[in-house]
Amino acid sequence: MRPRALVRAKAVLWLHTIRLWRYRWSFLNMILSEAAWIFLFVLGALLFVPSEQLGVAVKAAFWTIVAWSVISNFSSLVGAWMNFFISLGMVEEHLVHGFSPFKALLGRLITGSSVIVASLLFMAALVGGAFHVNLLAIDSVGLLTIGMILLAAEGLSYGFTVAAISMRTSVPHNLLDILNLGFVGILMVPVQALPEGARLAYLCIPYVAPAHLVKVATGSMPPVLMAEALAISALETAAMLAAAALAMRSVETWVRRNGVRAIGFW
Amino acid sequence: MGLRTLLKSGIVLDMYFFKNNRFAFVSMLLWPYLILGLILGMGALFGSAESFRENVGAAVNPLTYFVASTLAAMVSLDVMWGVGGSVLHHRWIGTLPYILLTPHRTSVTLVLTYVPRYLLTAGIQLAEFAPLILMTEGVGSGALKLGVMALAVTVGMLPILGFSALFASFLLSIKEETNVLSWVNPLILLFSGAFYPAYLLPKWARLISVALPSTYTIELARLSALMGSPELRKVTALIGILVAMSAVYNLVSGLVIQAGERRAMREGAI
Repeated sequence: MRPRALVRAKAVLWLHTIRLWRYRWSFLNMILSEAAWIFLFVLGALLFVPSEQLGVAVKAAFWTIVAWSVISNFSSLVGAWMNFFISLGMVEEHLVHGFSPFKALLGRLITGSSVIVASLLFMAALVGGAFHVNLLAIDSVGLLTIGMILLAAEGLSYGFTVAAISMRTSVPHNLLDILNLGFVGILMVPVQALPEGARLAYLCIPYVAPAHLVKVATGSMPPVLMAEALAISALETAAMLAAAALAMRSVETWVRRNGVRAIGFW
Repeated sequence: MGLRTLLKSGIVLDMYFFKNNRFAFVSMLLWPYLILGLILGMGALFGSAESFRENVGAAVNPLTYFVASTLAAMVSLDVMWGVGGSVLHHRWIGTLPYILLTPHRTSVTLVLTYVPRYLLTAGIQLAEFAPLILMTEGVGSGALKLGVMALAVTVGMLPILGFSALFASFLLSIKEETNVLSWVNPLILLFSGAFYPAYLLPKWARLISVALPSTYTIELARLSALMGSPELRKVTALIGILVAMSAVYNLVSGLVIQAGERRAMREGAI
């Protein structure tokens, strides 16, 4: 890596780390609110579960919600931050200095990952404590790592794509939230509950295959269609990353010619 | 400026808000169904209606139970954001000094400008769920259950208004930009037994539930989920508690918010 690029990378990392520290109360606030909402919904759903099956059901519900948290946090913490960046006039500033605003946005990975990991641990303590289930007992750490990395990469690609779109046109924030919540419903469906013919099609829905890997790794789902899920996840992630890169490049070219529309999220 | 003007300003503000922010309006319509779908969907995948009745300990229809819960939780949340959170919103957009300088007391201004929005959103959400309830329960029984829910969200609003004004006072007196309400609100719903009955919570949590007005609003709305007609005695008892809580919370909030206002003006926390 060239020294200039290294200095820039350091600046981006420093910016986001120091912001995370300065907004530590907001960070804590976000973790608490996220965990409380999730706990509220999980409690409601668990009313349907017979007491003898509570352990497996709590685990399946918890890891589905973790998967959703990754998708939702990356799209809102990365994607929606572009709104703030546009409002500050920082997009033009970065372009003038020959640095892509999307590279500055990459540092939001620190914020997003911190919120996800802290909420996951807090939720695990809260839900696990309430139902006396060890939610962090993992069957396969390797598979969980792969699943989480692929899920995060898909979530980030989506976040960067909406951030790019928000530079050209407005993005209705509420509808993104609704879309993210809609994914919880999709992720909840167990693959083995579907008819044989529909299983592969179901796995092809974005986020479903890596979420399936996560659920299998945590023992909350039987290991079915593993090779297929791995292959679909990898292909899907590559496609989503490519689409995000393409969207960012095309928007940057457009912005250099026409200027930022300064609409962002609302 | 009379009280009527305050009410009118609340109505006009909401009309223009929805007119200029159509996606917010659409999402307001979608959220209750999404929450309902999420809980019922998870419930159906992980368990059954029989287990639900066994766990709840009552002969209830899960669908009506969660419609009532979602409705009561959404409107309680709306009041807490609309009155309590509005102080923070006014502080952010720089209109808080104007609110404090209006001839009416801050609590009166916050509550009266909010009431039209509450009635509008609660009415819309009730109307949204009405076809579902009528289809599930039949026209006669469904209409009765909708009536109980309408009663709960109307009477239940009164103490929550005072309770939320207490929060407004707290937010006025602290120089904090972080929106503490975003995590306090789900906790309040949790202790109120929003989606999980308060009587199934641990004892220490039940002690908190007793003091929260939203607990009784949710309980009243949920009476509609019982098979057959809800007992009139229980409905009257809950209305009595809500009316008593309205008097207490609104009286206390009226006094406390004045103190908060004075402190905010003295310390420049606006």
